[in-house]
Amino acid sequence: MSDYLKPLPTITDETAPFWAGLNQGELRFQRCCGCGKRRYPISQVCPRCLSADFAWEPVSGRGRVFSFVVFHRAYHPSFAADVPYNVALIRLAEEIFMFSNVVGIANEDIMCDMPVMVDFERVTETITLPRFRPVRTP
Amino acid sequence: MRYPTAIVGIGKTAQGTLPGATPLGLQIAAVKAALDDSGLDKSEIDGLLTQPGTTAPEGAANYLRLGEALGLSLRYGGSFAMGGATCLASLQMASLAVSSGAAKAVVCAFGDTARSGGSKFDRAAGWGDSWGIWGMFSAAANSAMTARRHMHEFGTKSHQLGEVAIACRRHAGLNPDAVMRAPMTMDDYIASRLIVAPLRLYDCCLISDGAAAFIVTTHERASDLRHRPVSIMGAAQAHSPETIGNPNWWYVPHQRVAIEQVYAQSGVNPADIDFAQIYDNFTISVIVWLEHAGFCKAGEGGPFVEGGRIQLGGELPINTAGGNLSESYMQGWLHLVEAVAQLRGACGERQAPNAEIGLVTGRGMTLNCSAAAVLGRG
Repeated sequence: MSDYLKPLPTITDETAPFWAGLNQGELRFQRCCGCGKRRYPISQVCPRCLSADFAWEPVSGRGRVFSFVVFHRAYHPSFAADVPYNVALIRLAEEIFMFSNVVGIANEDIMCDMPVMVDFERVTETITLPRFRPVRTP
Repeated sequence: MRYPTAIVGIGKTAQGTLPGATPLGLQIAAVKAALDDSGLDKSEIDGLLTQPGTTAPEGAANYLRLGEALGLSLRYGGSFAMGGATCLASLQMASLAVSSGAAKAVVCAFGDTARSGGSKFDRAAGWGDSWGIWGMFSAAANSAMTARRHMHEFGTKSHQLGEVAIACRRHAGLNPDAVMRAPMTMDDYIASRLIVAPLRLYDCCLISDGAAAFIVTTHERASDLRHRPVSIMGAAQAHSPETIGNPNWWYVPHQRVAIEQVYAQSGVNPADIDFAQIYDNFTISVIVWLEHAGFCKAGEGGPFVEGGRIQLGGELPINTAGGNLSESYMQGWLHLVEAVAQLRGACGERQAPNAEIGLVTGRGMTLNCSAAAVLGRG
């Protein structure tokens, strides 16, 4: 796992709880104690009410592919072997938007609004990345 | 005078691949050309706003380096980095400065050696956690996200993006100074390789060396200068500092805010506009801007660009010099230069008929920044 060459997050006091949660199989976000807004990207104050009080709260991990793209060229050498690879903008059920990758499906079969569920991939000894896997709907 | 400020000078350099050139050297040449074009003496210039080139080592001190090189004394100045919104934001700031009396005449300039200097526009955005973790690199990828969602929500098709590329290329063919002049067919467009799907190579702007500049002063001072002045009827900015924190980020909602301001300032509506220079870092940007500017409804930009409507001879000619896609990628600065030339009736083969009112738009950064202007003849 030490040969993982792709960009990794910089762990700071502010971001550490997010990444610690992923290592424990939990996708969590900040939720403002002032106005209740969930927020992402991670930030010091609530962009709605500016309260600095927040709690980390897990989300369901369910969401949909809001949009996605397929890279046919590698802008970073560590992705060269993956081309063509997808990046998706995921809209979580809790109305948080985040970038990730859709796994377990061919790029040609990915569709906007397709339901997905978070999946956890340990990429180094200290970092777990959240990816998303299509779910079958009844 | 209903509109107190005007553009009185424009200048540009050769465009394309200019080995050995420097961003500052090109900027100096463009400003000299704009001064000559205006008939103003440099002693009358007391304001300088610039956008540092992607390869300019001095960054935010760019206006100081340029001012030093040109021997200017300034009462008003600065350098701004809002990507493709910088040119029109500078126009707005110059116009406000001149109309308030903070400056008498303001030069605005951009110069870059992005092509020779190897600028790739490949960085990953992201505040805190880099989007590069997911492989989300490049300016192209942001617009590809927009294109995919636009296709899903509104049924927009690849060939409609192609219509934008083909229109810009046709116009570049009428512009002897454009970099990419060979005709492009729909087959050529469809055959171009995927870069970040759904965007192809011909959906993407060029990467270019060159420079452009313009000068803003009062209408009063403009009246006895070399050219008939071009009125700044409206100029505005709007920004959404949030990216994915805003659910509508992909649709660049602040562009509509910028447009509403310039329509209100100018008293103009879409039916009054004779031509438009629409920011085209990627083809999808034109389609989204046409919707925000009210030429068609949200989601109808794809069908709108079909049938030659946005080509010379059509209802709304856009990017009459070829745009970022085929003229040269000067981050929108040549869009403004071309709008002024059109309003002077100086565009020869590519002149839009009865060009009296033009719209210019710009956008930049991670779909964060936008600016727009309505310009009028005389």
